[in-house]
Amino acid sequence: MSTKEDILKRIRANIGERFSDGQSGKTGYDMPDLSDIKAICYDNPLQQFADMSEKVGGKVIEAKVGEDLNALIKKLYPDAHEIASNLPEISIATRNPDTVESAQALNGTDVGVVRGMFGVAENGCIWIPQTMKEKAVCFISENLVILLPKNQIVNNMHEAYKRIEFNDYGYGTFISGPSKTADIAQVLVMGAQAARSVTVVLLPEN
Amino acid sequence: MTQHSKAAKKFLENQDYAKWHDNTFWAVRSKRDTMAMGLDEWEQLREKASAIKQHTITHLDEYLEQFSNNAEKNGAMVHWAKDAQEFNEIVYSILKEYGVKKMVKSKSMLTEECEMNPYLEAHGIEVVETDLGERIIQLKGQKPSHIVMPAIHLNHDDVGELFEEKGISDEKGNHDPTYLTYKARLSLRNEFLTADAGMTGANFGIAETGDIVVCTNEGNADMSTSCPKLHIAAIGLEKVIPNYDCLAVFQRMLCRAGTGQPTTTYTSHFRKARPTASQMHIVLVDNGRSEWIGNPEHWESLKCIRCGSCMNTCPVYRRSGGYSYSYFIPGPIGINLGMLRNPNKHSGNVSACTLCLSCQSLCPVKIDLGDQIYKWRQQLDEFGTANKEKELMCKGMSFVYGHESIYNAVTNMAHMANWLPPFIMNSSLNPWATGHEMMKFPKKPFHTLFKEIDKK
Repeated sequence: MSTKEDILKRIRANIGERFSDGQSGKTGYDMPDLSDIKAICYDNPLQQFADMSEKVGGKVIEAKVGEDLNALIKKLYPDAHEIASNLPEISIATRNPDTVESAQALNGTDVGVVRGMFGVAENGCIWIPQTMKEKAVCFISENLVILLPKNQIVNNMHEAYKRIEFNDYGYGTFISGPSKTADIAQVLVMGAQAARSVTVVLLPEN
Repeated sequence: MTQHSKAAKKFLENQDYAKWHDNTFWAVRSKRDTMAMGLDEWEQLREKASAIKQHTITHLDEYLEQFSNNAEKNGAMVHWAKDAQEFNEIVYSILKEYGVKKMVKSKSMLTEECEMNPYLEAHGIEVVETDLGERIIQLKGQKPSHIVMPAIHLNHDDVGELFEEKGISDEKGNHDPTYLTYKARLSLRNEFLTADAGMTGANFGIAETGDIVVCTNEGNADMSTSCPKLHIAAIGLEKVIPNYDCLAVFQRMLCRAGTGQPTTTYTSHFRKARPTASQMHIVLVDNGRSEWIGNPEHWESLKCIRCGSCMNTCPVYRRSGGYSYSYFIPGPIGINLGMLRNPNKHSGNVSACTLCLSCQSLCPVKIDLGDQIYKWRQQLDEFGTANKEKELMCKGMSFVYGHESIYNAVTNMAHMANWLPPFIMNSSLNPWATGHEMMKFPKKPFHTLFKEIDKK
């Protein structure tokens, strides 16, 4: 018998022995109803999202209608030399995560620019599905800029998990602020292994 | 004295550090309280989380099959390991197949449980931990002293000296945590770029979609899987949950309960390898779990999501440290998991509990941690690890309590013990005198006092 069959058989035997109810013929506990969770909602989800983003160490700025994002990013990170993005509107990009020869070639990126699908007000998370060949750009860049339409904010993770979608890359992540650690003497330090700063650029509604 | 109390005594020799340890964890506990109180639905979430886990564990065979089928449909290869040995062999065989010499890995308590690192190193594989805390203790040749804050037993000078010795930092005497973290970043960056494989644990496996979900603050799980050509995920059977609606409940609680943050920085979903990498491998590990489901009193320990809140709040953990426990997971959940693993070896830990039940009053998945410890204590006789002197005294007491006239005579005379010289009452002949002063017996026992009130 394979290990898989062996394990499943043992689980079934133990569940059957411990949790079958002879009268109802049911085995084990029922799945609880999750539709009645009274999850937190906000009067102004966008404001809450911005507040949370800053609380977790991120920065939030709003782009004006028609504003040139390239100039905006340049102003935010004036010393940046290497900018990585596969977004067509980011013309200042010096590297493209779709065409680099390896993920390693993205090391030394000063600013990575990616698109977020929606933000979560309760904790500042932004859903970023992989839309580039090398997802390393989201983590290896010293600074990460996330472009987010400002009308795409949900209240909480229950709403968020109803919305997330995957494409053929089969990867996606929620990011909330910069990489951080408190592993040395419980002192909070921004910039552990991934992006040392995160700026969320809120895009105007179309 | 139990093994735990001996080790705790050693921990308490450095009073300054012991005080810092206690205060640090109380601060984390307080942050957790702020988070919990910030959500009106917190207690409702705990109820749901517990019920989801009870349901999932009692249908685990179905969810495991669903998870494994969907993960394979996504393009991952799923392996099953019955125990630590088989797990280590599977991981090594995958690494060998791909010619891996160096593997970076993010934090995984499961690989600690299986002692994977020493196994792989003995087979010539270089393993580099990439969670900063894990990396520190790996360089130090130590084990984690907390499941979420593994290097909490070291201060910044310890880390600074370690980094100087290992050539990670070059400014001698600079022990500033920001500087040390930056130097570790540079050193680990090089490891990410040159590793042949990356391993992650899994906070959750999603049956309905086949995702592996990994939560980190450092981004090290994502770095570990973004550059190397191979991703192996190690996941304990009990980490599989039904779907995203369930995940939302746990994602909201994990970090709030554990570190008092609203979320981890990264909550990453892996369904398959990136286009420039080889196939993703998932190893599902049993190592006792399928048996524990059948344990009528202790199966709910399997609900644990490893947030660490039970140790943060535990008055004994805070004042004795992770190394005082014989099992690699300390604190209330570690006491229980250690007893499920090997009661003869780990029963010294069950004394590390005041039965204050703080742990179970805040466990996000409502494991009855303290009640379970109490139940384990009733079984110490079976394991032959009960304290012989206390056992004898208990027999004496049950004789006294069983006979009313003897009980009354004894309590009336008890105050005479106050006149015994302390060296007798506090002597090693009296096991309850270890670690605390003996009580003063009142002149009039409660019965007599109560009767007097009645008369008035």
